[in-house]
Amino acid sequence: MSVTTTTTTKLRQPRPALPEWTMPAVIWVVLLSAPLWLSLVGGYTALASHVVVMALVAMALNFLLGFTGVMSFGHAAYFGLGAYGTGLTLRYLSDSTWFAMLNGILLGGIAGTLLGTLICRRRGVYFAMVTIAFGQIFYYIAYRWDSFTGGYDGLRGFSRQPLGIGPWTIDIQGNGTLFYYFVLAVFAVCVALMAFLLRSPFGRTLIAIRENQRRAQFLGIAVDKHIWLSFSISCFFASTAGALYALLNNFADPTALNYTISGVIVIMVVMGGMRNFWGPLVGAAIYVVLQDYISSMTQNWMSFIGLLFVMVVMFFPSGILGMLKRRATT
Amino acid sequence: MSMLEARHATKAFGSLVAVNDISLSVAPGELRAIIGPNGAGKTTFFNLLTGFFPPTSGAIYLEGENITHLTATQRVKLGMARTFQITEIFPELTVHENVRIGVEAAAGYSLHMWTSRADAVVVRAGIDEILTLTNLTAKADRLVGELSHGDQRAAEIAMALALKPRVLLLDEPTAGMGEQETYQVAGLIRRLHKNSSYTIVLIEHDMRVVFNLADRITVLTEGTMLADGTPQEIAANPAVQAAYLGTAE
Amino acid sequence: MLQLVLFNVTNGLIIGSFYVLMALGVAMILNLSNVINFAHGNFLALGGYFAFIMIPYTGFWIALIVAPLLVALLGYIIEQLMVRRVYSRDPVYSLLLTFGLSFIIQDLCRYFWGPNGLPLTVPDSLSQALSSDLFFITGYRVFMMTIVVVSVVGLFSFLRYTRMGIRIRAGTLDLDTVAALGINVRLLRTFNFAVGIYLAGLAGVLAGGQIGLNPNMGDDLLLPAFIAIIVGGVGSLTGTLLGGLLIGVASALTTVVYPSAQDAVIYVIMALVLLIRPRGLMGEEGMFT
Repeated sequence: MSVTTTTTTKLRQPRPALPEWTMPAVIWVVLLSAPLWLSLVGGYTALASHVVVMALVAMALNFLLGFTGVMSFGHAAYFGLGAYGTGLTLRYLSDSTWFAMLNGILLGGIAGTLLGTLICRRRGVYFAMVTIAFGQIFYYIAYRWDSFTGGYDGLRGFSRQPLGIGPWTIDIQGNGTLFYYFVLAVFAVCVALMAFLLRSPFGRTLIAIRENQRRAQFLGIAVDKHIWLSFSISCFFASTAGALYALLNNFADPTALNYTISGVIVIMVVMGGMRNFWGPLVGAAIYVVLQDYISSMTQNWMSFIGLLFVMVVMFFPSGILGMLKRRATT
Repeated sequence: MSMLEARHATKAFGSLVAVNDISLSVAPGELRAIIGPNGAGKTTFFNLLTGFFPPTSGAIYLEGENITHLTATQRVKLGMARTFQITEIFPELTVHENVRIGVEAAAGYSLHMWTSRADAVVVRAGIDEILTLTNLTAKADRLVGELSHGDQRAAEIAMALALKPRVLLLDEPTAGMGEQETYQVAGLIRRLHKNSSYTIVLIEHDMRVVFNLADRITVLTEGTMLADGTPQEIAANPAVQAAYLGTAE
Repeated sequence: MLQLVLFNVTNGLIIGSFYVLMALGVAMILNLSNVINFAHGNFLALGGYFAFIMIPYTGFWIALIVAPLLVALLGYIIEQLMVRRVYSRDPVYSLLLTFGLSFIIQDLCRYFWGPNGLPLTVPDSLSQALSSDLFFITGYRVFMMTIVVVSVVGLFSFLRYTRMGIRIRAGTLDLDTVAALGINVRLLRTFNFAVGIYLAGLAGVLAGGQIGLNPNMGDDLLLPAFIAIIVGGVGSLTGTLLGGLLIGVASALTTVVYPSAQDAVIYVIMALVLLIRPRGLMGEEGMFT
């Protein structure tokens, strides 16, 4: 679902292109059927849930980075706030998964919206620096306020509760596969919303800002305001992913807020293909699987992750989908 | 009443005075060319007019309204549209999409997160009209970044037109172009001037374009205004001839 | 009471001077090449570790001079091989690159020297306290401050009076014009990068003598370095200097009244600056559009 319409003039494509819905169709088939074939390739359902959660936060970042052209390197903060909001609610306030999720989403989203007002006039690397710094504030709060948040050891003592929808109860607590489909459903809603927004005049304006900020400014577009809105929306989606993360692990910890995770989210986006709508999903899948595999094999997995960053930057900057797209049109 | 006016506009960067006490007035529907050797301060003057930065002293007026302290974005909203020396477009979008951004911005839809049927019709009509005006209908689905220089410039002008401006400021519209493309762009500017009565101010180096299109010419040199008059007056002006040393290519 | 305040202000100036040393290195690379060096804290650690290797053979003083040079050399190599290629691209790439390098260097340090702390032996002559009243002003701390002051003065003089330094300053304002004047911009950037890394390595040797060595020692200084730059104003090294001292002292004074907020206070200062004077204390208007 590339939002920039692929052209069909003879100049660009020597052979007929696949219809635009091919990619999403394939992706949804794979995602929906995952529990069926996952164990055959050495995977497990929680891993698939993990992939979808990370894909959501990566897509949230891509809304800002790939489509508005603005670099945030502190998105883990809103992801983490979503996780903590959910976990804290379940632990101290209520038994309702819906309510917990709502709190998580609001916590991260509102924090992002408020902080956005402070940083949205800055640009480029300066903007990135400020996002990094703000991201760390929440890390320190989670770390230091250990009576409330569990500090370094993280927040425990809660678990996802069976979901009540009308007269039915869905046991996402005991049944991992049902939980996976729940995560996928939330993902689907978020993805649909994002796609809808990107196709609206607002979304087109964001893309224009990405393409040429000066020209956008000289068309009378309120660039600062658009960036702020994009940032806020992105944070809301990120915190939704965080909420799901807390439910997945029945655990929330400060490392989820650290700038390390922020960097990981960015690499997932870049690895999959920064300007592609589905790029982050591809990047997330690769990263989560790779990290799972490597960390089970060696102590020095950090070096490998670092190496991955370096390799992607040096040799695969347009990401997997970026490379495929270029192949298809030359 | 003049459409666009500068009164004693001055811009100094530290001790460097790039624009020195320039006053000029452009009438509605007029095509004014600003010429001068390189470094004369033409683009800086344009930047003052369009609000890129504030003047050190002096004032700018748009249809009698003092806009000296308005930001660039505010001036755009009041009807000043501009193109740049190095074409500023959205390279990875098609011509149609480029113009659409302009039309939606002008209609105030930029923040809309959904479109109604009615909105879409308005936008569509606006885009078609501009594409026809600028002769880009056939190329509407091509990526602007892949077009020829002349077409890119036309696309940039198309975006400016989408804003329904009161005055168009074009910074060296034929810069770096060959014969054919210069002819194409100049033709477009002439049509906009004659058929659609746009007020146009342009910076140009190509004297054929200048003398063919302009109603009035203003000559700048080293930040000051050397002369201001009709093309005949300017051509006959000895000071201008001296400044240019006969560079009427 | 006075002793308590003095104690804290001194601590503040010392920690502040470390922030300054780090921040100046980061700022130099940022201002000229638009690269946020995430691995700066790791180069700092390397400085300490290189000194650690050298001291048994050369003693402390030689190590103090040579170890940062070695780190700068490594920085030079990395710049030539990798950083150089991402200058012209979207800044996200240089950020990811230095991020990745940070992981690699940190892990390598852990691999070669272990995850635990290692001591860095400093000469006895430096370890004495200067007076029993002001017991906290040890010779080493005075020494550290002196070195930092000397370095900062040296750096500013270099930038002001030498040809290379002037070119670097010009480059931070308008690299295109500098290039148009025929100056080799590549060389400038490489040299600038190496200088920045040198400062990190130097800070590492000094820090090692004070708190010992461990693979993460630079981490706690990296974010404050960023904040010092933001508070002081992007583009202004004097601002960075002031910013670093300001947050160091503020943090130390906070320990008196509200110890658990000592990290938080520098973020609060940053937030206030962004709210009230977004360009920083000494930043220029419109430097970052």
